[in-house]
Amino acid sequence: MADIGKVRVRVPSSIKPGDVVEVRSLVIHPMERIERDPQGKIIQKNYNYINKVVVTYLGKTIATFDTTQSVAENPFFSFTFKATDPGQLKIQFLDTTGGRYEGTADIKFS
Amino acid sequence: MSRRLSHSRDPRTTKEHNGRHSLTQESLADGHRLTRRAVLAALGAMGVVAAGGLVATPGTAQGQVFGQNESVEEAMKRLFGGKTIKDGSAAIKLDVPFIAENGAVVPISVTVDSPMTPTSWVKHIYVVADKNRIPVVTRATLTPEAGRAYMGASIRLGETGDVRAIAEQSDGTLLQVKREVKVTVGGCGG
Repeated sequence: MADIGKVRVRVPSSIKPGDVVEVRSLVIHPMERIERDPQGKIIQKNYNYINKVVVTYLGKTIATFDTTQSVAENPFFSFTFKATDPGQLKIQFLDTTGGRYEGTADIKFS
Repeated sequence: MSRRLSHSRDPRTTKEHNGRHSLTQESLADGHRLTRRAVLAALGAMGVVAAGGLVATPGTAQGQVFGQNESVEEAMKRLFGGKTIKDGSAAIKLDVPFIAENGAVVPISVTVDSPMTPTSWVKHIYVVADKNRIPVVTRATLTPEAGRAYMGASIRLGETGDVRAIAEQSDGTLLQVKREVKVTVGGCGG
C-alpha cells in the first residue's frame, strides 16, 4: 500500500520542436469499487478513487480527465500535446480523499 | 493441603462475598451513572455520525456526480440532454479489444479526426460503457494545445456490452461510435 500515488510518466526519447507527442502515464492507486451489503444495497461511503487528472505543460492546462469508479485499478492514461518549448510537463492525479499525486517529465529537444 | 486451602479459602470467600455485595451496590449506582453517560455518549456519537453522514454524503455525491449508479439512458440524458448525437464512425477511431479476457483492465484509446486549432477542436471525449453500473467511465477535456484529439485509458468492464466514445466538438456537435466488447471475466465488483 505504500506504493499508492507512485506516478510513472513516459515520453518519447527524442522530441523535435513542434512535434505532437504522445505521453503515457500510470499511477498506483486502488480505485475502490462500489461495495454492497448482503441485501444488494450500495454502501454509502466515501470511496477512494481518482476523480480528476490534470495535465499541465509550461504552466498551462492542456488536458483534464474526469474519471469515475469505472476506471481500472492502477489507472493508465495517455494523451498528446504539442511540444513547442522545452519545459516541464506535469500530471496531477487527485483522488476523493484529498490525495494529490504528481508526476513530471522534462521536455527537452534533441 | 486441599483441606487447608479450603479452610483458608472459606473465610476469604465470605469476605469477598461481603466485599462484592457492597461493590455491587456501588457498581449499581455507578451503573446508573454510566448508563446515563453511555446514553448521552451514544446520543453524542449518533449526532456526530449523523453530522458526519451529512458532511460525507454531499462529498460522495459530489464525487459521484459525474459517474452515478444509473442506466446508460439516464447517463446519456444527464450528460447531453436531448441533443442529437450523430454517427461519427468516419471521424472517430475507437481502439478497444473485441474480446476482453479480463474486464478489470481493458485498454481503450480514442482518436478523433480534428484539426485541433483554436477555431475548431474537440472539447471533450467521453467514454461510456453501457453495461457498467457506473456507465460514464471518463471524460477527457482537451485544449487545442493537445495537438491531436487523442486519449487512452485503462477501464473496467462489468460484462459484455457496447462501449461508446462520444466526441463533443468546440461548436457543440456530438459524434458517437460504439462497439461491442465481449468480456470473459467481469471487472466491476459493484
